[in-house]
Amino acid sequence: MPSKEPGDEYSRKAIRYSAFYGGKIGTAPKVPIRSLDDFSIWYTPGVAAVSRAIAKNRELSFEYTNRWNTIGILTDGTRVLGLGNIGPEGSLPVMEGKALIYKYLGGVDAIPIPIRVDGVEQFVATAKSLEPALGGINLEDIASPKCFEILERLRKEMSIPIWHDDQQGTAGVTLAALYNALELTDRDLRTSKITLFGSGAANIATAKLLIEAGADAGEMILVDSKGVLNAERDDMDQLLLRNRWKYELALKTNEARVKGGLAEALRNADVLIAAATPGPNLIKKQEIARMNKRAVAFLLANPIPEMWPDDAAAAGAEIVATGRSDFPNQVNNSLLFPAAFRGVLDVRAKTITDSMVIAAAQEMAKSAREKGLRKNYIIPDMLDWEVLPRVAAAIGMQAQREGQARKKVSSDVIYKGAKKLIDTSRKISQLLVQRGIIPAPPP
Amino acid sequence: MQRITIRDARGEDLRESARLVVRMKRLNEEFDPLYKVVGDVEKRALKYLRESIGSKNTVLIVASRGKRILGLLRAVLEDRVFYEPLMTGTITDLYILPEARRKTMGNDMLQHGIKKLKRMGAEMITAEFPAQNEIAVRFYHKRGFRALVNILAKEEMGQ
Repeated sequence: MPSKEPGDEYSRKAIRYSAFYGGKIGTAPKVPIRSLDDFSIWYTPGVAAVSRAIAKNRELSFEYTNRWNTIGILTDGTRVLGLGNIGPEGSLPVMEGKALIYKYLGGVDAIPIPIRVDGVEQFVATAKSLEPALGGINLEDIASPKCFEILERLRKEMSIPIWHDDQQGTAGVTLAALYNALELTDRDLRTSKITLFGSGAANIATAKLLIEAGADAGEMILVDSKGVLNAERDDMDQLLLRNRWKYELALKTNEARVKGGLAEALRNADVLIAAATPGPNLIKKQEIARMNKRAVAFLLANPIPEMWPDDAAAAGAEIVATGRSDFPNQVNNSLLFPAAFRGVLDVRAKTITDSMVIAAAQEMAKSAREKGLRKNYIIPDMLDWEVLPRVAAAIGMQAQREGQARKKVSSDVIYKGAKKLIDTSRKISQLLVQRGIIPAPPP
Repeated sequence: MQRITIRDARGEDLRESARLVVRMKRLNEEFDPLYKVVGDVEKRALKYLRESIGSKNTVLIVASRGKRILGLLRAVLEDRVFYEPLMTGTITDLYILPEARRKTMGNDMLQHGIKKLKRMGAEMITAEFPAQNEIAVRFYHKRGFRALVNILAKEEMGQ
């Protein structure tokens, strides 16, 4: 079992390659330029007719421009994956990487937009000012709890889908994996006792989504750095003022008013979802042993899970998942966010609701079930390409059912369209390399 | 589940009521550094409540479920000397435990407190809390209260 990060070699290559290629993404034309005369169509004077039409009917911007396939990846750089508050410029390489995944796995044109803003109000105002250019916004790497307020505000105040991957992405993919873990251990989401270890953006969003999906809030327990969250805790008023999302969960969850730490929270729990801080010794074997038989343990901290999966299994966990690709059952956002946006863009959705995320999670879970669930296969992996258009179709259909889509499209049309766009995106990438237009990396 | 009762505080309520006072003072601390809570706040809260129970001009009521105290209201009757109406009942503390909020308990306690203060001679009611406490501002505004006095503060320690 791997126990070390191969970080150094990747770091050296990342610096060398980034300098060599001058960044990871760029724009490319999608129309033929047969001669310079074509610019009279694509640009002035021809373009004026298109602009006039859109000025009369803004919705046409989704048909006559690439807005329908364009999203902005917005961040203030305050909580960059594994790096903390490194500022907007520092976050740019990460946002470029995200844009690359969006293009390669979802066929989505994503523009990295790190912004220098002070506080929630400025962030919200800036995001709203970008709406005319975008078909959606992916919020990325924003510190908690302001990320909750930004997502909540933008969802309410904008007419394009807003997605915060650290919240909906992680919650959605966790739910997908959980559906199948529960199926394998003969459980039902509605009656399972779920303990969430860590109360950052990921687990707060996961708890909310699980409740929305039917989990019993009263049987759910959240644990943060101060111990078990409960309505009687001394810091409740501080939470009310500083993190009302956590405050609401403290009121809703833990009906039994369990107090103490993780050990108390895991007593007779069916499921552990850990999204705390990197381990590997954050959770002890004895704590897992307190869980019910056939326990489910998701150990999602990166780069090192809260405890090593084989330790969790030895302590009695029947199903174990992590956030890492070198262990089985990788709970990986990358299978969800490109597909989710592919789907909402294809129906020109106005928002992404929680029930749309649940529909995506259900489809993802179904896709794995059809391949045959095993202890070591509860969720599709990165090689299961067919899951991407399936999830796109599921979320696109749900958007239409909820009246949130600008366009009526059948599931089959979304699926085929999404598959074609994703396939084309990959083919273009491969072709550019084969033809030498994208040169091989330096030695 | 047992019924919630709103009643005068008794000696046996003091210890648990003091916990609510401490929680409230710590909540105030969130709004302004000039509300920094002292180190021995628990001891002082107990003394504060004990003196309140013994005072003729003070109202101290609690909301209880069995032995558990869920809410507390303290108010004092004051003479305004120069102004009419002359007698005012000033609510100095109103705190409800988070688990008991959103169930009209705050309103019920306020009405109970106002009734008592009126019986004692109060012709108007005021409420004191940190200026930044928007939740309290909304609570009282919703019930017909309006801003009456400004208290401006400036720290002079060590200057």
